[in-house]
Amino acid sequence: MVQIIINIILSTCVYILIAISFTIIYYPVRFFHIAHAAVITFSAYFTYFFFRQLNLSIWLAVPAAIIMSVIFGILIELIIYRPLCKKKSTPLSMLIASLGLYLIFQNCISMLWGDDTKSIRTGIIKVGNEIFGAYITDLQILIIVICLTLFSINFLFLKYNNIGRKIRAVASNQELSSIVGINSNKVILWSFAIGSGIAAISGILVASDTGLTPTMGFNLLLYGIVAMIIGGVGSTKGLIGGAFLLSAAQHFTAYYFDSKWMDAVTFIILILFLVWKPLGFSGKHLKKIEI
Amino acid sequence: MAYLLHLIILISIYVMLAQSLSLTSGFAGMVSLAQAGFYGIGAYTTAILSVNYYYPFLITLPIAMIFCGLIALFVSMIALRTVEDYFIICTLGIQVVIFSIMNNWMSLTNGALGIPGIPSITIFGIVFNSKFSFLILSIVLTMLAFILLRFLTMLSFGRILKALSEDEIYTQSIGKNVYLAKVLSFTISAMLAAIPGVLYAHYISYIDPTSFTVDESIFILSIVIIGGMRNLWGIVIASAFLILLPEALRFIGLPNNIAANLRQIIYGLMLVILIMSGKSGIMDLFKGKKKNSSLQSINTGTFTTNKM
Repeated sequence: MVQIIINIILSTCVYILIAISFTIIYYPVRFFHIAHAAVITFSAYFTYFFFRQLNLSIWLAVPAAIIMSVIFGILIELIIYRPLCKKKSTPLSMLIASLGLYLIFQNCISMLWGDDTKSIRTGIIKVGNEIFGAYITDLQILIIVICLTLFSINFLFLKYNNIGRKIRAVASNQELSSIVGINSNKVILWSFAIGSGIAAISGILVASDTGLTPTMGFNLLLYGIVAMIIGGVGSTKGLIGGAFLLSAAQHFTAYYFDSKWMDAVTFIILILFLVWKPLGFSGKHLKKIEI
Repeated sequence: MAYLLHLIILISIYVMLAQSLSLTSGFAGMVSLAQAGFYGIGAYTTAILSVNYYYPFLITLPIAMIFCGLIALFVSMIALRTVEDYFIICTLGIQVVIFSIMNNWMSLTNGALGIPGIPSITIFGIVFNSKFSFLILSIVLTMLAFILLRFLTMLSFGRILKALSEDEIYTQSIGKNVYLAKVLSFTISAMLAAIPGVLYAHYISYIDPTSFTVDESIFILSIVIIGGMRNLWGIVIASAFLILLPEALRFIGLPNNIAANLRQIIYGLMLVILIMSGKSGIMDLFKGKKKNSSLQSINTGTFTTNKM
């Protein structure tokens, strides 16, 4: 039972990380950036490439991979989304373009590195630390710590930092914020950089815990999006609740039924929320779902 | 020769799938990622009925269509509470749930092992077991579906769909039942998607859940977008192009797994190019002339009301 609680906390942390990395981009731009999944996957594969294939030290490989992913995220915004945004494309066509991008990158990854599961870790796998009869590895403790730190930094950043406040301004009303002199393009670029950075960190953490496959980013991103929607778009506290509810449901399903039903349960929860509580638990106003 | 026939049969199956999706995604502007799910439901219904209960094709086909329609009716009542990008995520969820049922409900669908030994189609004593006869059957059904879609979209129903994809609130304000039109288009589209499912199951004679994944849904949607959303002939060309593409890649000597990846890269690239250039479909892209096309209308017209 303690083991389940630890697993729930662990996956809650991962989903929160993915969800904040996604929402920091989603709030100002308001379309589903599916290619974000490619950023997550790329960060893991870059780490694999630098660490295992070029034999760099881990202290060099991880920052390099994060920087590469940030550059990658920024390039997507500059080359693809900005021209589309200028043409006043709808979120729907942006989503389709993003889906196309995701297809391109995911297949590039599986062409370059193959479809099999890779592992970043070297050496023997240690038995984890024992807490009340359950096991948790050092890496998993690291995931929880990093998640909590990044979450609080992100919260403070959005609340008090100048750029963070500009991101929130653009998110709440793009036209009004440009009237008061905020350059929304620059702000969106910042949000892409930060979002891709957080996504890279979470991608690397998940990859080092469970191994890496070309489709890992897509599943993670979907869970992040589900956590965001059931938590309520626009609410940071809702995000924690959403991620927790999602991972609790998944782990209890795995425990009482079978782990193969986890995906189905995830999306049934999503659909139930979209039907009965389309605003998530925070109940914040969202124009799109209420026609 | 047999291989060529096989490819043409596959093309006709995908033409049906993509055209049925075009009714919701192209005409009504509700982009759905659940089409492979309905395709799979059609295939599984006929497989279970004909393997376990020995029902003939002429009975399993209507049952599969009606069953698919009922599920779509139920699903559409849920999914249609959301619009545009939330609708996509919702249909993606439905697709994952359907796939998960096909993959995990061992006693009904035999899980990941699939259902082998699906008999050939028999209509009034004629057995469609050769490739050529099957080709004729599938082309006849494709043409029937095509004519039905042509007919539906030319009726006032089609005009309501186009109108609601341009401006939903306006369409409602002139007294059209927008909700009913959306539910109907979603249901009809799912019922039509059951036909290629049934054909596929009898043709390959073995089905497993991997044929009905999210990737398959994305592929069908790509055919619709590359074909030009509402352009039914464009969809025929797009599906021929996308089915023949990996064969062409294999022909020039690429290994199988790289050809599969390269195909996905090419249609991903085409999606991006089409959206970036604002053209509707492959035919429009090569013609190079710009008209007020359907993708354009999705780009500009459709959802302006929501931003107010």
